[in-house]
Amino acid sequence: MSIETGSLAEIRAFVLSALREMNYDTTGVDDDTRLGPAGADLESLALAELGVRVEERFGVRFDDDEAELLGTMTVGEFGAAVAARLGSAAAGR
Amino acid sequence: MGNATGTAVSTSARTTARTDVTVTGMGVVTPVGGSAAAVFDAMCEGRSGLRRPDPDGPLAGSLEVAGFAPPIDPVSVLPAPETRVVDRYIVMALRAAADALADAGIVAGRDVDPYRIAVVLSGTGGLATLESQVVARTERGRLGVSPYLLPGMLPNMAAARVAIGHGIRGYSSSVGTACAAGAQSVAEGWRLLREGVADVVVAGCSEAPLFPTLADTFANARALARGWADDPAGASRPFDRRRGGLVLGEGAGVLVLERAAHADGRGAAGYADVLGWGATNDAHHPTTPHPDGDGAAACMRLALRCAGLAAGDVGYVNAHGTGTRLGDRAEASAVRRVFGADGPPVSATKAVTGHLLGASGVVETAVSVLALRRGLLPPTHNLDDPDPECALDHVRKGARPAPGVRYAVANSFGFGGHNVSLVLGPPSTRLARQV
Repeated sequence: MSIETGSLAEIRAFVLSALREMNYDTTGVDDDTRLGPAGADLESLALAELGVRVEERFGVRFDDDEAELLGTMTVGEFGAAVAARLGSAAAGR
Repeated sequence: MGNATGTAVSTSARTTARTDVTVTGMGVVTPVGGSAAAVFDAMCEGRSGLRRPDPDGPLAGSLEVAGFAPPIDPVSVLPAPETRVVDRYIVMALRAAADALADAGIVAGRDVDPYRIAVVLSGTGGLATLESQVVARTERGRLGVSPYLLPGMLPNMAAARVAIGHGIRGYSSSVGTACAAGAQSVAEGWRLLREGVADVVVAGCSEAPLFPTLADTFANARALARGWADDPAGASRPFDRRRGGLVLGEGAGVLVLERAAHADGRGAAGYADVLGWGATNDAHHPTTPHPDGDGAAACMRLALRCAGLAAGDVGYVNAHGTGTRLGDRAEASAVRRVFGADGPPVSATKAVTGHLLGASGVVETAVSVLALRRGLLPPTHNLDDPDPECALDHVRKGARPAPGVRYAVANSFGFGGHNVSLVLGPPSTRLARQV
């Protein structure tokens, strides 16, 4: 099965893969799991790294003040935010 | 020859009200084993930790011989997400610190007020990790650089992560005096205890220099022993005629220093007291020691004065003894000037461990502690033919019984001309550790 580039499914798969590469346990992590405390439990530098990885892979960047809020997002919300930026970028081309 | 008997410390020095600084825990990571006893025994048995690098590994073209410490899984000392970009020096520091605290039986918050325990843990820092990120940036651009780089390599991060991992909330710092940094950390710990800043200090150093760039700069500076690829165990030869340079090694050493009264209060036994220290600078050259050992001699004299001892009281010197032509000659000259031609027995640990840079000073202090406790002086391995220019009462060809030995001096000298000497003596705690 192929996944469309920039689709929510691809972004979700990328995020979960990134978390595993960052040595986080993704067992039970789904769209409703928060990235920060009481969820996947990414601390500040891990959230920063996730942002860098997404920027490197998809070319979308979260500003510093936005990055502070990433921990409060769920995996699904984060994927949607990345997809929305991708869509805006595509529309702007 | 030599003075293994020692004499009592002058009464005035010992009766003044003061804080006695006792070693109540020791932890080491070295190429010859993970305990002070293992290092001591390796010296006594002539068991070397030096070997050739993996012929297919990154060091193969850079180092003929090195002292590799055993692998440590970073997950054993850090949360898994923090293990991907963390330097080996930090991992070894965490292992040695955990072992030292366990050896002392100290848990912050249980055995000592978290604000009354300090950590002074030093090292050159994670230069290999920095290099790996430079490579990543070269290959992938700015987004290839990990946000974890600084916590993974800064020279204060061993201290910081030990503080975080063990809930140590008091004074914390690291010392940057190259190969004298470990001994200087112990001296700083002594000062913190004497000044009443803390009741317990975790003091030590960790070094992970075994990566190509650092190996190459040592080699290009012609500081390394050459020509021993077929006999790695023979490469490090302090004070021997055939010595030709140092052998790089990696490792960590951590001591738990404690106010003796605090240790008594919890029923803990001490290994030995740190009686005093001296520190000087050669003010001569960035890497070459003063040829006459002027700074080193002054350093030892300061340490003895700090400890309230006379030169004749000292029954053992654990030399810095790296195996370099100039360094060993300068140190031998300094020891003779301080202790006289009939000075105390001397031996060097680096013959079996290699040069663990700043960590050596702590490992060698731990060896000296055991020499005092056991009444046995470990020999210098490979000292087959002592260089007449390094004439000393060398302990060689087997350990030397010294049942009356009470006081020892451990020397550490670093690039930059930094000299530190520590003076050790019997524990002033009610209970003495059996070793």
